[in-house]
Amino acid sequence: MPVLGTCPGGDSVGQTRGRIFFFLPALILLAAFVVYPVINTVWLSFQTPEGEFSFFKNYAEILSEPEIVDLRGFKRGFPYGALIHNIMWIVIHLPLTVMLGLILAVILRDVKGGAIIKSIIFLGMVTPMVVGGIILRFLFDGSVGILPSFLSLFGVARRTLTAHPDTALFALILGSLWLWTPFSMVLYSAGLETIPDYVYEAAVIDGASPLRILFLITVPLLRPVTGVVITMTFLWVLKIFDIVYVATMGGPGGASNVLALQMYMYAFRQFNANAAAVVATFLMIVALVVSIPTFRALRGDES
Amino acid sequence: MRRKILIVFLVALVAICSLPGVAAEKRLTVISGWSGPEMDAFMPVLEAFEKETGIDVEYQIYRAEDLAVLLPAQFDAKTAPADVIFMWAWFIAKHAGDGHVLDMTGYLNEADFIPGALDPVKSGDKLYGGVYTGKVKPGFWYRKSFFEKHGLSVPKTWIEFTALCSKIQRISGIKAAIASGNGVGWPLSDITEHFIASYAGPDVTHALIDKQISWQDPVVASVFKDKLVPLLKAGYFSEPIEWTMAADLWWGGEYGLFFMGSWITGMVEDPDDLGVFSLPECKGIVFAPDYAFAPAYTKYPEEAKRLLAFLSTKGQEIQVTAGGHISTYAKVPLSAYPAVDREVAALLDGVVALPDLDDTIGGEWQPAFWDQLKLLWVSPGRVDEVLETLQRKVD
Repeated sequence: MPVLGTCPGGDSVGQTRGRIFFFLPALILLAAFVVYPVINTVWLSFQTPEGEFSFFKNYAEILSEPEIVDLRGFKRGFPYGALIHNIMWIVIHLPLTVMLGLILAVILRDVKGGAIIKSIIFLGMVTPMVVGGIILRFLFDGSVGILPSFLSLFGVARRTLTAHPDTALFALILGSLWLWTPFSMVLYSAGLETIPDYVYEAAVIDGASPLRILFLITVPLLRPVTGVVITMTFLWVLKIFDIVYVATMGGPGGASNVLALQMYMYAFRQFNANAAAVVATFLMIVALVVSIPTFRALRGDES
Repeated sequence: MRRKILIVFLVALVAICSLPGVAAEKRLTVISGWSGPEMDAFMPVLEAFEKETGIDVEYQIYRAEDLAVLLPAQFDAKTAPADVIFMWAWFIAKHAGDGHVLDMTGYLNEADFIPGALDPVKSGDKLYGGVYTGKVKPGFWYRKSFFEKHGLSVPKTWIEFTALCSKIQRISGIKAAIASGNGVGWPLSDITEHFIASYAGPDVTHALIDKQISWQDPVVASVFKDKLVPLLKAGYFSEPIEWTMAADLWWGGEYGLFFMGSWITGMVEDPDDLGVFSLPECKGIVFAPDYAFAPAYTKYPEEAKRLLAFLSTKGQEIQVTAGGHISTYAKVPLSAYPAVDREVAALLDGVVALPDLDDTIGGEWQPAFWDQLKLLWVSPGRVDEVLETLQRKVD
């Protein structure tokens, strides 16, 4: 039973008040700039533009629009709709980022000058995404782009990869790898530093091959890092906007459109805050559904 | 005692600062999307205003696409990033209705402008903006030296036009007959509007703007299917290339023709080498003025209105001397124009001056139009899908 004048945790009332005093400003700011906008966005998504409550009517309408899901794409080719494009982005980008980051971190760990090479690779990460998007536009340009020029050496006709519906999304995904893989490489590099050398030395003495060491020691011990990389990459891909906006504006014909860009179109072209709120809420729910279990699993690992 | 002295001192300081001579100087901010050579040509206009009025003017660059995002939020907060802002006419008209734009009625005399120039920023008998110079989108530009070297001539009929494209296409070193400029998509929309005005007519352009005719209507569809798509399928148009780069490549001889607005005259090394022709049978040419407005939240409403009035009148005369701009202010003399712009002005003779279709419709439809045309350019076989999407976006 708590003694009079102390809180259940054993702290004095004064200490508790002091904590509340220091906690309060952050709480007020969070409430004003995070909690209130989130609640208001969710509330907006259930309203008509006239302010009437419409249950899930907005959701049914928006999520069935061809800009979001276009089933005709499965017969005709791109576009498939922003939601499908986001899924494709996740399916392609996520495993590649994880694998490339891990491979680069492992290879460059013991290479002479590895730190310099890592710094060069990291330049992609520190490049502002808008600048990255502009660079991508020129990188894939049929006349001056590096990739079409390289492909032409193998007899592939030069063409602007971001200008054609069948290649635009893949070109952006490829470009985004350059911009985001450094993030996973850096995290894995930091993770590798935490694995004690004696673990590897023991494995070598036991005669383990480098591949067995990679898959049976490095990868399992980096599991918490992998969890963070997967979650952060997933969230980054889910909200991908700037590269697409600058490089293709979601085109041609919506072939590289993504949910965040569609949300922007609803909000600032249609001035339809309710439609934009539907997409925002949808993105938030998906982000929560994926990130909460991942962080819980990570916490379990730690404990 | 000290406290009293401090209070007296502060009161005196405030009083002194409130005197007209000591108060901070008024400084107006103007926003437009012009940068590089376009900005260089615009700065003398602002300098002339400063000289005439003694009011400082600061210039900031924002693209209209970015302003479309920025301004609604600022207006909701009852603020604005500048005192005079160049923006799409439809945007000005929309926000004037919500009380975010200063009333300019009485500051400009409508009779001093070309007919209809102020209409897009009018609501009833109220005027909510100023009109600046216009850009003409006259047709296909070519280098006279290129045409002379290869024995090419300006086409007078559609058959001659397709023959010209075919001839250019066969010239060694040419990648395609026509360079297709691409920004966010607008240069392609300019080309398409020119085809619609030429082969469906100005009335159809107006009907499309007013949403009185469908994009899938046979008249409209035939412009796409019988004129534009065959050229695209024949490969006469290049795939979309970033428009400033396309201009360089065309000027460098990799393409024979380039469709662009009249501002191209200010972008090339030798404007005297420029020639331009409209599509044969052309009945209407897009003449797209720029519009500006003073937000209701400016600190200096009277000065902002004065600047806006200056830009719409005397400013235009200064601007046209730099080339690439056609005045909407009727009092600007022809002698103010460079020679190449007089050639552009001659193309307007006998045809209807049309508003820019996508700028007039605006909203979500505009980027959809640009985007669908980018698709059409690389996949002309999907023309029906393009027209269906454009109509769906109108609905």
